[in-house]
Amino acid sequence: MEVWRRYRRNFFGVAALLYVLVLSVVALLSPVIVGTKPVICRYKGQISVPALGYFYEPWEDRSTVSQELRKRYTPEKLKEKDPASWAIWPFVFQDPFRRVRENEWPGQPGNPSGGDGKPSAVNLLGTSQRGVDVFAVLVHGTRVALMVGFVSTGIAAAIGMTLGAMAGYYGGWADTLLSRMMEIMMCIPTLVLILALLAIVDRPTIWHTMVVLGVTGWTSIARLMRAEFLKLRTSEYVTAARALGAGQTRVMFRHILPNALAPVLVPISFGIASAILVENALSFLGFSSPPPSASWGTLLSAGQRNLDMWWLIVFPGAAIFLTVLAYNLIGEGLQEATDPRLREGAK
Amino acid sequence: MTIYLIRRLLLGFVTLVVVTAIVYALIRHMPGTPLTMAAENMDPSRKISDEDYALMKKAYGLDKDWYVAYFYWIGNVARGDLGASFRERKPVAGVILQRVGPTLLLSGLSIVITYIVSVPIGLYSTMRSGKLDERTTSVLLYVLYSLPTYVAALQLLVIFYLRLKGTDWQLKPGMVSDDYVDLSPVGKLQDIGAHLILPLICFTYGSLAYYSRFVKANMEEAIRQDYIRTARAKGVGPIRVLVMHAFRNTLIPFVTLVGLTLPGILSGSIILEQIFSWPGMGSLFFESLTFRDYPVIMGLVLMFTLLTLFGQLLADVLYAMVDPRVTYN
Repeated sequence: MEVWRRYRRNFFGVAALLYVLVLSVVALLSPVIVGTKPVICRYKGQISVPALGYFYEPWEDRSTVSQELRKRYTPEKLKEKDPASWAIWPFVFQDPFRRVRENEWPGQPGNPSGGDGKPSAVNLLGTSQRGVDVFAVLVHGTRVALMVGFVSTGIAAAIGMTLGAMAGYYGGWADTLLSRMMEIMMCIPTLVLILALLAIVDRPTIWHTMVVLGVTGWTSIARLMRAEFLKLRTSEYVTAARALGAGQTRVMFRHILPNALAPVLVPISFGIASAILVENALSFLGFSSPPPSASWGTLLSAGQRNLDMWWLIVFPGAAIFLTVLAYNLIGEGLQEATDPRLREGAK
Repeated sequence: MTIYLIRRLLLGFVTLVVVTAIVYALIRHMPGTPLTMAAENMDPSRKISDEDYALMKKAYGLDKDWYVAYFYWIGNVARGDLGASFRERKPVAGVILQRVGPTLLLSGLSIVITYIVSVPIGLYSTMRSGKLDERTTSVLLYVLYSLPTYVAALQLLVIFYLRLKGTDWQLKPGMVSDDYVDLSPVGKLQDIGAHLILPLICFTYGSLAYYSRFVKANMEEAIRQDYIRTARAKGVGPIRVLVMHAFRNTLIPFVTLVGLTLPGILSGSIILEQIFSWPGMGSLFFESLTFRDYPVIMGLVLMFTLLTLFGQLLADVLYAMVDPRVTYN
């Protein structure tokens, strides 16, 4: 595609894309990289994958091994209860939600807690006040960060693209209504909207946060979509399609939408960056989602309360920063690749 | 123009009513009321009796549905009465005014620095476009632009509060030291200055990067215009072309930025003020929200909405004034 060809020339854009790719792999493989649940194990003749519990708890519950060991797996316990059992363990035996105690893994000392949790060979990036391994939280946090980015921006894109397309295509009162709505959204302080919406839910989970971020973050996407539709509506090929008898829906979805997609990727990419930023800011302010969900911002907020535990600030801070930077760079690259004004300048 | 203005003002009024109604409904639906929040922090032995509770509820208008209470609120606002804070038992206007100073000090200084530094950076980048130093600056600016303020703020605190502990260079959160009252006038100024540095850096670097890039982007477009070639052809020096011919013509988009920054001047930053314990509007907002101090939240939202709407109107009107091609007839 034309846009991709131009995008490829942008060194930072490609590097950022690669970074996000690596991050996605880390997110998918997070229970393999670090965890306290076996990746695959054979126990009393049954093969199971307890590590899936990190993705979705019920997936873990059914197997005999998780019921008999009550989800606390150690090599010793496995051998003791079933000498014929075997298991493949994650690379690093640490948990993102709890403190690992002494000899849970044969020969591995328990995690230090409080100010003693400096980075060490056992805890690569240190431990939190409660003795939870920082490296484990960071690795499992990529899942939350990427999910927040994609789900919330996906919701925002669905709302923004629909509204923007309708306003741009039909014009008239639909357009007036949308611009009123966008003005109202601009006037309500974002954090109030988010905090108020989250407070209405009794026990907010990470999914609520994502929905709220999506419902509040659609304006920039709608604005761009509207402009694209306004521009393309009067273009010759659309008139031609209409003359050939294409209906309104067909013109909107088959003819205009594909041409408006590439520019809309720009606010979507920036939207992902800001969703990750805001989610971590919320966790930082103490509106964190309850476990099981490890958010980078939660570590930062623990770091603020214990400033001398610098590793609680430096590592998650770098993770948030790099991820936000990567999405911004992707957005920037897309902008350069799709903006016709910049295109002429590059010649 | 007059008709346009009247139309905009009417529309703005409708927006104002809708926004405040939405926020009112939202905060009334948040679990807990100012009374329950206060009761949580109270000594359990001095529990309020149910009758007193009902009386207080009535006095605060919490017994009514939100839309009824909203009408009372907006009626009072029309008469210039914003109500009284639940928490501080003082008029809302006074509570907000107390916090305006610290926020204005930060944002005002931040804007001045941003303008003074970003315009030269932008011009310099245009001049050296494509050269190594320009590429480096541009990457650095981009990195700064993407650096979340709360991450930067915490890092700075680790360095200046923790690492430099015990030296004269240690910088503390808060706006003034504990012994502030006993200091001499010069000492007071120094004290505030020392506390101001870190929040000011965090407040400024993002917008600095944004504005520099903004100036550069506009300049890139301007120097491709025909009149620049003409000016160069007739022998105008490079700097004069850049500043007098190109930069002057990029000032028009700047006008829209002024409108957009207006609400930011008074809104403060919830997170930064939280981290640096800065007693500004952002922390007032956060405190009021957690305490469910409805009148203060509504006062702040009213102010914020008015500023946003006024900023947009101002930008549009200024745009028509500086650019003769734009009219609103």
